[in-house]
Amino acid sequence: MTFIVRQLSRTAEGREIVRTARQEADAISIGRDAGNAIHLADLAVELHHASVSTRDGGQLEVESTCGLPFEIDGRSTLQAQINPATGAELRFGGHRVGISAEEGIAVLTVERVGALSDASESREEIGLFTLKGLLPDRRPVAWGLIGAVLLIFLAWPIFTYATSHGVEKRSAGFHADRMWLSGPLSIAHKSLKANCQACHVNKFEAVRDSACLTCHRDDAHAHADPARIALAKEPPGIGARIKGLFQTAFNHQAGRCVDCHTEHEGAGRMPATAQAFCTDCHGSLKTRLTDTRLKNAGDFGTDHPQFMPAVTVGTDAHGGRLYRRVSFDAHPVDNNGLKFPHAIHLARGGSIARMAQTMKAEQGFGDSLACKDCHAPTADGTRFKPVEMERDCGMCHSLAFDRIGGTFRTLRHGDPAQVVADLRAYYRSTGPDRPISLGGMARRRPGDYAASETALDYVAGARAYGGQAEDAVKAVFSFGGACFDCHVVTPTGNGAEPFEVRKVVQPDRYMKKGWFDHNAHRSETCISCHAADTSKAATDLLLPDLASCRTCHVGEGGSRMKPVKAPVESSCAMCHDYHIDAGAPWLARQKVDRTKGQPRFVPAVASVR
Amino acid sequence: MASEAPRRAMQTGRVRSDGAHDGFLRHNNFQWLKVGASVSLAAILAYLLIDVQPRPNGGSWYGYVLGTVGAGLIVWLTLLGLRKRVMTPGAWSLKAWTSAHVYLGLSLIVIATLHTGFQFGWNVHTLAYVLMMFVILSGIFGVSAYATLPRAMSANRDEMTEAQMLESLRAIDRQLHDAAQPLELRQAELVRSSLEQDPFGGSLWQRLSGNYPDCETRAAQASVRTENAYKPKLGNDPLEKIDGLLARKEAMLARVRRHLRLKALLEIWLYVHVPLTFALLAALFAHIISVFFYW
Repeated sequence: MTFIVRQLSRTAEGREIVRTARQEADAISIGRDAGNAIHLADLAVELHHASVSTRDGGQLEVESTCGLPFEIDGRSTLQAQINPATGAELRFGGHRVGISAEEGIAVLTVERVGALSDASESREEIGLFTLKGLLPDRRPVAWGLIGAVLLIFLAWPIFTYATSHGVEKRSAGFHADRMWLSGPLSIAHKSLKANCQACHVNKFEAVRDSACLTCHRDDAHAHADPARIALAKEPPGIGARIKGLFQTAFNHQAGRCVDCHTEHEGAGRMPATAQAFCTDCHGSLKTRLTDTRLKNAGDFGTDHPQFMPAVTVGTDAHGGRLYRRVSFDAHPVDNNGLKFPHAIHLARGGSIARMAQTMKAEQGFGDSLACKDCHAPTADGTRFKPVEMERDCGMCHSLAFDRIGGTFRTLRHGDPAQVVADLRAYYRSTGPDRPISLGGMARRRPGDYAASETALDYVAGARAYGGQAEDAVKAVFSFGGACFDCHVVTPTGNGAEPFEVRKVVQPDRYMKKGWFDHNAHRSETCISCHAADTSKAATDLLLPDLASCRTCHVGEGGSRMKPVKAPVESSCAMCHDYHIDAGAPWLARQKVDRTKGQPRFVPAVASVR
Repeated sequence: MASEAPRRAMQTGRVRSDGAHDGFLRHNNFQWLKVGASVSLAAILAYLLIDVQPRPNGGSWYGYVLGTVGAGLIVWLTLLGLRKRVMTPGAWSLKAWTSAHVYLGLSLIVIATLHTGFQFGWNVHTLAYVLMMFVILSGIFGVSAYATLPRAMSANRDEMTEAQMLESLRAIDRQLHDAAQPLELRQAELVRSSLEQDPFGGSLWQRLSGNYPDCETRAAQASVRTENAYKPKLGNDPLEKIDGLLARKEAMLARVRRHLRLKALLEIWLYVHVPLTFALLAALFAHIISVFFYW
């Protein structure tokens, strides 16, 4: 039997080289050993891998002799029958053995198809030593990233804007323009965080005042005439001019709410507007608004006009308070209609202090009178209630003039006509049979002095009995009388109402343009600001002036004219409000809120003297 | 970081000559380092002196200035990709441009950080900032790689070209193949596994670390050594030859792998630097549009 074995190989240029050998044998062997008829220099092939033998009818039988398989037409097998005329393809490792027949002789064509080693394979050598193939190419990655960023961070939020334009309240959950949030909203506006369109109404249009005013209908009071505000502004500095350039370029109107009330500056309270926003106009207001009556104010510590309290100058025809604003530098007096020396009442010794001691148990006084014994704070602790005669003076200054059984009859305070009528009635109806002080006729004084006068009073009373009523009326309204000593009394010449008492007026605030909160000053004593202990007349204006406040309060950045031991930095907003209303300014409100949970006003007896 | 890169360059011991052979880091006596440092210092000083109320932010006038300068710088820095394709000498040479790219890129850290006013959050604005910082950090890595690795690379190459390395591997493989012919299949398999493993087929991590724990050549050599250990050295055992060849291949592979590692380190940062630059440009665009869309 004859086999033809053809060894195919290729030159470097790819030209084919064919070596043909005839083998005369019944069977030929295939393997790596050089002794094999078909020698395959292939490490994946056994030394003696398989044999090919002839069978009846020209059939060839291929059989593995080492127990390792080979492939026939792609299938792995240990043994196979092949008709050479039909042909087949065997594969041993990296070699292919084609079987065919030429003129009845079986031809085995051997060719190396697998590379000898990985390194020996011809490959593109440029890029072999680079990261090419290990990492995705830079260009497609760059394009992909550009697309992803623009889609997620630009197109999606714009889509959200477009679909929620004009919607009052969006549904709960995530909205893509959230990704544009430049910082958390303040506490007041926290609820708007999912509703960007509530303020950002139109695209590329800076937040308009109209958006603010949809909620702030009642509290956004105008500060001044916008035309005058525009006039009052300082010419812009270099920074403001640069910002102005951007603002004009991007349709950014000036003078809007958000100029001062900046948002997205962090969670927590919206920060108080900086002093600069005030002083931009008020620091040198007079140079631009020449007709203004306001004085320039640049900083509390260094550049603030003297306070001008509204002092009482009298009353009008209806008893209303007439006042005039007078600077402290002009030594104002407060003509409130009362005669009251604070110094005597607060003295630590003397008759008043002694009387206070005797009334300790009854009225809760100390060893001498203190401010709190007569002055009561308002419910919020910010100010003090007006003094009321019955409540605040009457515990000592009784208006009793008669006693029926255990009950005292008193003159009616605040109603001179009634006083006259009561006294006249008294002298008509009763006799001078009481061995006690007549009271009422004269102002009762503390201590034994009053008791020692009882006898004299009685004699006078007895003398006046029955027909001396007019003398009694006259005594009450004259020097030494119950009314006269505290009030300004003028005779009228009218028989029915012979005397007129001037109405006492007590303002609830002397300084309406600035805010003052007693509550915030609880750690101070009263007299550290109000020099009541040395005041001998009720006309003394017992208010602290600018210098007095400056002993603690310094400017926004700590600016001051004199050394201050425990400085309290005070910007304009501490006392003044841009949107002026009756309430406390923003900054003061925030300071008081911090003390919530504590009693609002605690008169510490030791300190409030 | 600005001062570190040039220090490395100086450590290389190069002496400044006429300037023509200075690296881009030393270009024109560190001209652009000085410019970048002055710009950064001025930005910091201004930040400290300008009292922005209620707190520093990108929307103040100074914020706008820093933002404009920063955005302009980013666009200009990106243009290096175009500029590098045109080489010219002189004051506006590519080297000067690259030097400026490095130092002005570093000053961008200061400018952009001050522009943020240190307000960060989960938003497109911080995204742009973070992308920018990644781009700059990868750039710093790249500059330090360029300053140090070429020296190590030429030490490792030992004057061999890449083609020579490849050819050397192939020669060893051919000899291994021939020498393994008489071996029985089990031993032949060891050699074959070494031949068939792609020397360039390691993962990215293997490239960067130079660690190839699944190296077949090393495994084959260990097995062959174990088999040879107790045999007398007669000089006619094909396994002895195989042993020698495998040792040579492993040494060659070690050199190739060190080379691959150094090259990968020289290259890897660009795979971060370039795509992230474009992501940054997109985020910057979204940042600017969003700020003016809602403001």
